[in-house]
Amino acid sequence: MADEKAGRFPDPHEFQVPPELEGWEEMYPSHYLFSKDRENWEKNQFWYQDKIHAPEPMPPLDLIFQEAWQISLSQYTTRVFCIPPAQGIAQRMVGPYMYICAIAPPPEEIIAEKAGLFEKRVFYVFEHYDELWDKWLTKVKALGKEMAAVEIPRELPKFVPEDQVLPAPTGCYVSYDLIEAFDKLVNQMFKGWQYHFEMLNLTYLAYLMFGDVSRKLFPGISESAIGKMVAGAYVSMFRPEEELCQLSRLATSLRGVTDILKSEMSADQKIAELQKTPDGKQWLEAFDKAKDPWFYVSCGSGWFHHEGSWINNLDIPYSYIKSYVERLENGETIERSLDTLDKERDETVAKYRELIQNDEDRESFEGAYNTIRTIYRYAEDHLFWVEHWFHTIWFSKIREFGSLLVNNGMINEVDDLFMFNRYEIPELLTEVATGWALGVDIPMRGEYYKAKADKRKKILQAAGEWNAIPALGVPPEEVAEPFTIMLWGVTTDKVKEWLKGMGEGAVTPGDISEIKGFASSAGVVEGKARVLKLLKEIVDLQPGEILVSPSTNPSWAPVFTKIKAAVTDIGGLTSHAAIVCREYGVPAVTGAGIATSAIKTGDIIKVDGDTGVITIVERAG
Amino acid sequence: MNYILNFEQLDKNSLPLVGGKNASLGEMIKAGIRVPPGFAVTTDSYFSFITETGIKDKIYGILSSMPPDDVESLNRASAEIQEIIKKTPLSDDIKTALEEGYSHLCEKCSVEILPVAVRSSATAEDLPTASFAGQQDTYLWVEGVANIINNVHKCWASLFTPRAIDYRNKNDFPHEKVLISVGVQKMVNSRTAGVMFTINPIDGDLSKIVIEGSWGLGETVVSGSVNPDKFVVDKVLMETNEKTISAKHIKCVYDPQKGGVKNIGVKEDVQSICCLGDQEVTELVKIAKDIEKHYGRAMDIEWAIDKDFVFPESVFIVQARPETVWSQRKTTSVIGKKSGYQLLMEQAMKRIKIPG
Repeated sequence: MADEKAGRFPDPHEFQVPPELEGWEEMYPSHYLFSKDRENWEKNQFWYQDKIHAPEPMPPLDLIFQEAWQISLSQYTTRVFCIPPAQGIAQRMVGPYMYICAIAPPPEEIIAEKAGLFEKRVFYVFEHYDELWDKWLTKVKALGKEMAAVEIPRELPKFVPEDQVLPAPTGCYVSYDLIEAFDKLVNQMFKGWQYHFEMLNLTYLAYLMFGDVSRKLFPGISESAIGKMVAGAYVSMFRPEEELCQLSRLATSLRGVTDILKSEMSADQKIAELQKTPDGKQWLEAFDKAKDPWFYVSCGSGWFHHEGSWINNLDIPYSYIKSYVERLENGETIERSLDTLDKERDETVAKYRELIQNDEDRESFEGAYNTIRTIYRYAEDHLFWVEHWFHTIWFSKIREFGSLLVNNGMINEVDDLFMFNRYEIPELLTEVATGWALGVDIPMRGEYYKAKADKRKKILQAAGEWNAIPALGVPPEEVAEPFTIMLWGVTTDKVKEWLKGMGEGAVTPGDISEIKGFASSAGVVEGKARVLKLLKEIVDLQPGEILVSPSTNPSWAPVFTKIKAAVTDIGGLTSHAAIVCREYGVPAVTGAGIATSAIKTGDIIKVDGDTGVITIVERAG
Repeated sequence: MNYILNFEQLDKNSLPLVGGKNASLGEMIKAGIRVPPGFAVTTDSYFSFITETGIKDKIYGILSSMPPDDVESLNRASAEIQEIIKKTPLSDDIKTALEEGYSHLCEKCSVEILPVAVRSSATAEDLPTASFAGQQDTYLWVEGVANIINNVHKCWASLFTPRAIDYRNKNDFPHEKVLISVGVQKMVNSRTAGVMFTINPIDGDLSKIVIEGSWGLGETVVSGSVNPDKFVVDKVLMETNEKTISAKHIKCVYDPQKGGVKNIGVKEDVQSICCLGDQEVTELVKIAKDIEKHYGRAMDIEWAIDKDFVFPESVFIVQARPETVWSQRKTTSVIGKKSGYQLLMEQAMKRIKIPG
């Protein structure tokens, strides 16, 4: 690492955020703030901005997912499966941005103790993976159903209904149900996140192991080659898209359905039209059958309330279906052959294996490969079930509280609910319950909360304009935490680049002509950039353009057949964009950090998926 | 007796008769690789030359009477032998064979006076365990039979450079056992040329093809007198992992004044243009894989892109020999015999330096 004096970032305790963010601290729990009482420890750690989970200013209620992963990810490493030298990942807020830190290894005696536990516990998981996966999916599905079934009072009745009083009083009423329902949703979210990491840390560890073995045998092997060998074709993340393909194909075999689907009507109008014919009804039935779980897919990463999901924005799946139907009618193939993909993967692995000259090495490679293949499906599947399906249910349930608070004059709009953190919302709900209990014409503090929500919205907006500092504190010499390397891609080069961007002489995004990221999918192309920050802007995308976006996710999948190349700000070699681009043979550079701010729509850019470099060839007029 | 043999008539079994380089060209033609046409002047030619003219005993007499480890007498012996070879005229039989061979070649290429490359091809050269590479001579852009004969003489003489004699002495290679053949091959009118390896010579990575190329003839790359453009391509996925474009300040071209070739400067605006198109790189990689597969081992290959032909007919292989550095090391295990669990445990215990 760079030398101590030059190679460090500002002390987090001395660092000042811009004045327009004043008051940001009250949005988050106290243990998320850098504090005097923990100063000695905090200032010697390396804190970098988590652009994967928190690329944008954090709305207070959305912090719940971060809170949940900090605990869950860390505990599996430190207390459950006990990866010997690794500790957890700590989070802090600086302004509305989240910073994280992989904590340095524990004392040697703890490492030794953990090693024994690791061996016993982890090997068991690998030996019983299939059965454990079935159990995992069963319990996650059950938890989601339980969450969907939580009853949230729609209104506070003038008087409690008769049947709750006679013949025997139920004994507790809406004033209690309200608080209980909210607590349930919070607890279920935490539980879902406990499940989320159940086998994920081990998956990442196995992936790093296989990468290491591959690099020992083939020193110059690319990350994308390693990714290709490991990736599976039958992955839940791709199911939403497959379902759309099937529905599109079904439509072409029915009478009059494609005409409606191809029209410019809204999804609601299309549904109304389809209801009118038997074939239309048949198609709608198939759509309804597919939609839970497969259209419970976030339009973003699943981490932010404003992203929305297919199920709540049916115009999105319907617009994809429209373009699939059109392509089918042009005689194009829309489905990817998963069997072919699987076969290609196996052939790739076989070809590398053949190159190994030594029998012992070949056996070790085989062992390493089988180990990662046993468990890798977890990395590919958990994401759909937790971040997409489970979060989508949660958001829709939690918004019911938003409506209730709007109806009771506590906030102006449903989504203002997200301006309060999970500890504050019970305060609002308690006041509503209290007001109801006290009787009629009871004044409440709605104006106070409305003003608070407004102020926080302004802070978040101002934070959106602020180019947050990439890191704070002292860069470490080494890390032992699998996620830090694999998911966030923290490398010496990255840290150097961050350092370069600070202080005097730092370049502003508009002056940049070359950006470096991960070479995630091979190939070199030049073309017109289309910067899309939100999925709803997708209608602007023209065939043959280069997609430039903060990140992509399964709901963007149908876009990849249209584009020439993809560039993302966030995401490593196993990110969604990387995986999908490799499958479609579209060049991609991921994790380019500042692509969406440095590149403007209409710029001519060159994407080199072999070296990970994006060059701005010509600025748009 | 065959004084000359066309490349098409050769394969790896012809090595004692035509030397390693020529045999390998014949072998590649058999494997369907595009090699510029030509013929080999066999070791029989050489042997009958030294026996029929009676110079054989003179040569080996000089060598056996030479005191070991004495630089001066080594140089003297070498000069003396080379002089004898160069001065002794060829028999009419050999001359006729060469004339016929050359005129056939000219006819085949529909050129009246075809420029050729004349290269020595020793029988002990290029063996994987004893690389003699570079110890014999190559003459480029040779035109007309008189010049060919002149260079055949030089090639034969090159068997007795001080370095070659010394090498054989030090390695206990009997001088009599090393015979020499000469290759006469159509000159590629190369726009771009260079070398490639079916293993990364830097780190021994067997999954890579490494191509180095520069403008003009390949000699600037082979001799290391330019920084070539470099491409590292993955054999399995056919992805380019590395592409380095260098400022290629000189190129080797035909010299119409003196005959032969010379190095000239490259215009500044052309120096840093990539010397190979994407499809040429892909074609070279495919050929390299074919050659490696045919020989069943890592190979070191010379190639050229002919400006008189249209892609892919423009891509020629002019030479291929076994890679000798890494091929010998690769038998030892890098990882050892470990189970997936052992490897996982090792990974879990690692404190990873932040990768660079």
